Amino acid sequence: MIKLEAVSKIYKGDVTALQDASADIAKGEFVFLVGPSGSGKSTMIRLLNKSETPTYGSIYVAGKDIGELSSWKVPFLRRNIGCVFQDFKLLNSRTVYENVAFALEVIGRPKHVIETQVPAILDLVGLAKKTDNMPHELSGGEQQRVSIARAFVNRPLILLADEPTGNLDPTTSVGIMRLLDRINRTGTTVVMATHDRAIVDTMRRRVIELDRGRIIRDQARGVYE
Amino acid sequence: MAIKLDYVVRETGHSLKRNFTLSLASVLTVAVSLALVGSAFVVRAAVQHSTARWTGDVQFIVFMKPDASSAQISAVRNALDPDNNTQIAKVTFFDKKRAYKEFREVFRDDPVLLSTSRQADMPTSFRVKPAIKNAELINQMGQQLKQAPGVYTVEFAYDTVKQIERVSKLISTVILATALFLLAAAGLLILNSIRMAMFARRREIEVMKLVGATNWFIRVPFMFEGLIQGLIGALPAAVAVWFLGTRINNSGSTHSSVAILQGLYVSGGEVWTVIIAMIIIGCLVGVVGSAVAVTRFLDV
Repeated sequence: MIKLEAVSKIYKGDVTALQDASADIAKGEFVFLVGPSGSGKSTMIRLLNKSETPTYGSIYVAGKDIGELSSWKVPFLRRNIGCVFQDFKLLNSRTVYENVAFALEVIGRPKHVIETQVPAILDLVGLAKKTDNMPHELSGGEQQRVSIARAFVNRPLILLADEPTGNLDPTTSVGIMRLLDRINRTGTTVVMATHDRAIVDTMRRRVIELDRGRIIRDQARGVYE
Repeated sequence: MAIKLDYVVRETGHSLKRNFTLSLASVLTVAVSLALVGSAFVVRAAVQHSTARWTGDVQFIVFMKPDASSAQISAVRNALDPDNNTQIAKVTFFDKKRAYKEFREVFRDDPVLLSTSRQADMPTSFRVKPAIKNAELINQMGQQLKQAPGVYTVEFAYDTVKQIERVSKLISTVILATALFLLAAAGLLILNSIRMAMFARRREIEVMKLVGATNWFIRVPFMFEGLIQGLIGALPAAVAVWFLGTRINNSGSTHSSVAILQGLYVSGGEVWTVIIAMIIIGCLVGVVGSAVAVTRFLDV
């Protein structure tokens, strides 16, 4: 599903964020990216949905070299890749329902699809009773659920999560991980960058460890360290 | 993928409200600059009508008697032919039909005069553009022609007519140049108001990009907003130009003692052409301003 071939990313001023990284992630896998801050986790996530382009090397998503993708096709790549962030990125002037519906509205999905998909996904993430609330009326965990619902409502092949539990307490984090696990079981490939040792150690999934831009460990059913 | 109209209209409405003062500034600048452009063209057209007989450096007109024989007409024609007379650069013959057409245009606000005159009453005439510049010699040439058989009179271009033509040309050129600068300012204001609108919606734009909205889907509401600003600016300008047109036509029908004002008019067709051009220019300025904004500041 995702393949990195000798990918390097060098920012302006010779800052090497990622160096010669290669990895192969199969469909339906759940992968943790671990490592200290600045080790290249976020860069890797940003490369996967073409928010950034690699300086060297190539990246394949669903068998296609995304470096070859012309810029007008990038939005169509992103429709297959859901994204979840530490800061949720919710629209504060819109309700829970509207936030999720927005994701379908702006890719031109018809009204009847929106009206059936959005309640279904809000039910899945456990927010069926909060559809008309505004984001600021929700707890952090609930806000992250909204953002997961928005990322998953279009049933993408891949879900990228950049420290999704970074702002949440341990108990709430467990709930979020259960949800991501559930999404993974539907066949969606999940790539999650995290700092959270407890989560990685409990889940026992594939772990790719980065240090100063290099992949130093790639272990099936791994632990944080 | 179709972009839904109600989505675009809703987003544009929100954005115009949120950015009210800057949008208003753009709209007003568009209005003032387009009003100037339109007025310049309408006034120029009106002056051209009133001095129509004297365009192209025509210095004098030889009017034949209405009952002049064709032999008399040919004699004058031969005398004025540039091939025979090196002092003449160009001569245009107005037959009865052409004279009547012009007559009806100049006196179109005077139904009594129109109804009592027929094409047969019209004098034929020669409009003469001399090759020489010397006013004395031109005058002499005209006076001589006055004596020729069949000639009713010879009318000379008044210096005032020439001056009015020159001054109106100069003024309308200055107005147009000013208007051009104002239009550029209007374009820049629209560009900035769109930039502000995008800044206000940067979170939404970020999310749209993340979930895979196409570039056009993101851009179109902003470009539509620019178009609307240009269009709204063009409307008051169009009204102003329309009023100017009616004012000019009223001044011509009052039998003003100033001879030049008698022929000062603009046709409805001309006013509408100018108005339509103004609306198109307004929309263009809006679209170009916002297009530059979305391509410069919305890198996807």
